[in-house]
Amino acid sequence: MGKDRSVLITGCGIVCAIGLDKVQVLDSLLSGRSGIGPVRYLKTGHTEFPVGEVSMSDADMESALGIASGTVTTRTSLMGMMAVREALSQARLSREDLNGAAFVDGTTVGGMDKSEQYYLDFSAGNSRDAYIKAHDCGSCSEMIADRFGRFKYITSISTACSSAANAMQLAADMIRLGEADIVVAGGSECLTKFHLNGFNSLMILDRNQCRPFDAGRAGLNLGEGAAFLVLESRESAARRGVKPVALLSGYGNACDAFHQTASSPDGEGAYLAMTKALADAGLQPSDIDYINAHGTGTPNNDVSESHAMMRLFKESLPPVSSTKSLTGHTTSASGSIEAVICILALQNGFTPINYAFENPMEDGIVPNMKLRPDRPLRHVLCNAFGFGGNDSSMVLSYAGED
Amino acid sequence: MQEKIKVLSAKQISVQKPLCEEWMDSPEACSGQYARALDPDFRQFISAGESRRLGKLLKRALATSLSALADGGIANPDAIVTGTGFGSIENTELFLDALVRDGEQMLKPTQFMQSTHNTASSLIGINTVSHGYNSTYSQKGLSFDSALYDAWLQFRLGRIGNALVGAHDEMSPVFSTFMRKAGHVKDGETCSEAAVSVLLEAGGERPAMCTLEDLKIVNRPTSGELEEIMSGYDPDAVMTGRSGNAENDSWYSFLRSDVPQLAYKPLFGVSFSSSALGFYASACCLKAGRIPSVLNGGNGDIACRKGILVVNVVEGRHHSFALLKPVCGR
Repeated sequence: MGKDRSVLITGCGIVCAIGLDKVQVLDSLLSGRSGIGPVRYLKTGHTEFPVGEVSMSDADMESALGIASGTVTTRTSLMGMMAVREALSQARLSREDLNGAAFVDGTTVGGMDKSEQYYLDFSAGNSRDAYIKAHDCGSCSEMIADRFGRFKYITSISTACSSAANAMQLAADMIRLGEADIVVAGGSECLTKFHLNGFNSLMILDRNQCRPFDAGRAGLNLGEGAAFLVLESRESAARRGVKPVALLSGYGNACDAFHQTASSPDGEGAYLAMTKALADAGLQPSDIDYINAHGTGTPNNDVSESHAMMRLFKESLPPVSSTKSLTGHTTSASGSIEAVICILALQNGFTPINYAFENPMEDGIVPNMKLRPDRPLRHVLCNAFGFGGNDSSMVLSYAGED
Repeated sequence: MQEKIKVLSAKQISVQKPLCEEWMDSPEACSGQYARALDPDFRQFISAGESRRLGKLLKRALATSLSALADGGIANPDAIVTGTGFGSIENTELFLDALVRDGEQMLKPTQFMQSTHNTASSLIGINTVSHGYNSTYSQKGLSFDSALYDAWLQFRLGRIGNALVGAHDEMSPVFSTFMRKAGHVKDGETCSEAAVSVLLEAGGERPAMCTLEDLKIVNRPTSGELEEIMSGYDPDAVMTGRSGNAENDSWYSFLRSDVPQLAYKPLFGVSFSSSALGFYASACCLKAGRIPSVLNGGNGDIACRKGILVVNVVEGRHHSFALLKPVCGR
């Protein structure tokens, strides 16, 4: 046995289209309930695109968090606060405990929801100037972190749809090197007209419920949400007397180096990221019991990712599913949202189904439609790939009986 | 750590003459509310077709990166880590403006694509065919420091032998007024642009500008913590983010007054990526063996033997400390 490279996960929190906390999300996963539907909260004219919205207005979230109305917030920061609060509570961390902890957030849209609302006022008036300060990614992360404690290091990673996954990797690196005992890491991203229209301009949005890995797939459905995890050293968790909910046993980051918005046909970046993650965890492909694929539902991603998985796993390909047909593509937050889904799967012994799948694609994997796995889940792989070929993969492992 | 981290090369595009160190002895004036960078001839780095497609930030990121890689003699870096506060804000502004004024039709995919912060890191990856570690940080004025810290960790974990670390921010006239409204640029400061690429290597025989000895970032340190951090350093001078603005400069008041305090912002202006220029300027001083008078308020050159501590304080809360030392035996 080599050196144990595991980093403990001692708490996690999630808010997305299929639930406002872990209990609700688990229930939706087990009953195969999709959160994708007609747009309710985002003020867009593009009602033809179904989306996966968090079923709370900004005001609902402010009131749930006890934030006075009129306070400068963004939807991304509010969802982030909801998820962090749940994660800290599970990890039993107080405000004082966070003095020596770090906070690593993955986001790309930042405060764009408010900027697109108040942009004209930014230029021509001054009544909304407070929101200019909330526009960038970093201020969004500070808003979330500052609500809970000091945190000795706060930073934001912005690698598009792999942002939260890379945030978790930096967090784990910091723990492995002893730079911090506790790092709260994840991502948050709300829907905006800005990126809904951006994805539309790239012609990769499906007008129907998205169908990852299906022959008839026609693009993705955007979603929104946040998930944060408490990553902790073994010593710190033992000292505090908290048990891990899962282990982050390995991870890899690689660059496809192919195109700004398309994946290479052979999925080189995805292949390298998964290979690195397995090597880092000291595992073989046959040790992986489930893969939560990036699986956006775009023709390009699903072929590319299929090729990468088939090349790496060959005959030992475990059940694979994309949960984006339930949650929508939560972009920057997807890495941590799907990591929490993987943790729920490990803890409850099920393999999430690839909702809305009907017909196998010609040149790809056949996704999992069976909730009960043939063998117990010990190690699962979680993929998150971003524009520009920023590909990341993580191995999450069962932490044992409580 | 086994091997020393060396700074092999460092390149800038800013309000000073691009891709050279002429600013050390004959700087361009940096004044006014808003100043754009002086661009080099991009044709030596980018084809005409690509040049038309790419926004300023991306062209500059490619130019400083390819130039730093060529200088350092590395074609495909093991890691590419970039910081940017706003990303390609000119494209973001065009897309946002069209969205808000003209509605949700006819929006341009290229503008959206380039608005994503990680386009610089990934474009460099695509251009140099580098499949290694690739990441992007966006934490206001701490973006470069965050990127450098990530690379520092990758070195210490033994995952990489070299890294291209950069910070890139462009600025449009409209967003320069927003920068001021938000307090990111203050009275007396010039809102400017910066593109900086730094090539780092662990060990090896290649000649270097200096070594990176230590890197720390702390949010909201107590005065005791600051004192403890500073007690670990004995530099010739401290490269500060002092700009002449009273509030900004007060954030550096914890520094000892008997060690010379340098300032790069009066020369280069202020942007989310300006701390990268402080790092770059310090590396140039260590390579030259002297700190030019322009960084020292015109008070004459300072010899450079022990090293320079680069201190960046963002909004009075984020504090970063990078210790650069001369290469031994020079």
